[in-house]
Amino acid sequence: MTPREDELRSGLSAYLSRQWNTETRVETISRIPGGASRETWRCQTMVGDAMRGLIVRLDPETSLIDTDRATEYRAMDAAHRAGIPTPEPLFLEADLSWLGRPFSITSEITGCQASADAIPDAHRETMGLRKWALLGEIATLDPLALGLADAMPATTVETCAMEQLEYWAGVIAADEIHPNPVAEAAVRWLRRHPPPAAQKLSLVHGDYRTGNFLYTPDGQIAAILDWEMAHLGDPLEDLAWSLDPLWCWQNPGRAGQLLPHAEAIHAWEAASGLKIEPSAFNWWRVFASVKGIGIWISSSEDYHNGASKQPILALAGWLMTDRQQRILADYLSPHSMHRFYEARA
Amino acid sequence: MIPNGAEGVRHLATRIITDLIPKAVDAYTTADLGLTIGLLDMVAQDYDRAVDVLISDQNDMRVLFEAALGSVGDQGLAERMSASVAARPTSLRVGDLSAQADTAMRVLIDLHAHVEAAEAGGEAWASLLNLKIWTFIDAHVARRAYDSAF
Repeated sequence: MTPREDELRSGLSAYLSRQWNTETRVETISRIPGGASRETWRCQTMVGDAMRGLIVRLDPETSLIDTDRATEYRAMDAAHRAGIPTPEPLFLEADLSWLGRPFSITSEITGCQASADAIPDAHRETMGLRKWALLGEIATLDPLALGLADAMPATTVETCAMEQLEYWAGVIAADEIHPNPVAEAAVRWLRRHPPPAAQKLSLVHGDYRTGNFLYTPDGQIAAILDWEMAHLGDPLEDLAWSLDPLWCWQNPGRAGQLLPHAEAIHAWEAASGLKIEPSAFNWWRVFASVKGIGIWISSSEDYHNGASKQPILALAGWLMTDRQQRILADYLSPHSMHRFYEARA
Repeated sequence: MIPNGAEGVRHLATRIITDLIPKAVDAYTTADLGLTIGLLDMVAQDYDRAVDVLISDQNDMRVLFEAALGSVGDQGLAERMSASVAARPTSLRVGDLSAQADTAMRVLIDLHAHVEAAEAGGEAWASLLNLKIWTFIDAHVARRAYDSAF
């Protein structure tokens, strides 16, 4: 066990013993690969006489996405209470005296994977239908009834799109190491073509994609993860992000590497009760790639100037910026061959 | 100088695959090494092409600025374009070329916004120049594309 693991084991044992008011001992702890926005640890704990698996997410030194852990926790908690499959949220702790950084704890869901590449081909279609049906179900939730009004910035159906655009345009302007003519052109295009008002305000997951849910060996989606970019907004934002060609780079015809785009959209419409308005959806798909570039540029900036030198930050910053700007050029260039036509509504 | 630099960097990646990953102590370390291999391959690609990419960008932007100078009425923008056309590399070091390309790119971005506004106003020269700018942007993006298995 490394000194860091030993330190976490000791701090967590003390914390959990106090929270559960019973002797709790962390038996094993190991860091989970990926998860660039948080430092994620899996641990087995002995609670009294019973073993219990937990997932601990710590704020990192620097991260891929600058987000608020309370927003993530409360969004996941709200979705969990509403019946959306998520890990069971247990604790959110801001006191630095326990682990040196703020953290959250959820129950572990065992026997599952998240890797998009490892999904058995036989389950891709059914998993895809379920994935977009679940996203449609999230769009039906009433975020105010779920108590999220004070957890996230207020917005309106008229203003949510341009507020998101200005946020990510600001991230690009603040974090870019080299000026990016594609991102700048896309931001101007989005400003010139504002979308119609959202059909409704929803809880937006913010990073809904294959790789951000756990699935069982028989192809069932067991839990939706990574709610750190959750906010209130237009449900089309999540749909467009989930269909971004970045998530099916090697196979552009299969949304999220799962099923044809039209089937994904149909599953979402059936579950959400909403119909896609093409001009609005096309605005959101360009926005999705601008947001992506914002994340990747921010990741590059973190890698070069921040405290963390994790390879995942460089991979996101270098490779994903390249791909995302190829997608944007494909959408916007008058010379485009529209390789990513499939992603249109 | 490292002989055959790009190839040398790829040998480092191969060494990680064959000798270091099998000795990794946990899944986290294995994943980090896997990502590092992918990154080394990207470094090898840039090692080979960086100067060509940066000089090609600057040459293309110079041609665009020369074409735009007769049409752009914004005096400040025209002066910045003229300065970019006149600028010559002070060295061929990648850092210096990159800084010069960044300066020219900021002018190009402002020119593009100016051209879009003129095109919206119905000015025919702007439509033609906008097409040329997009030709440049397409080439700029293509020059930076990585060949990657990820």
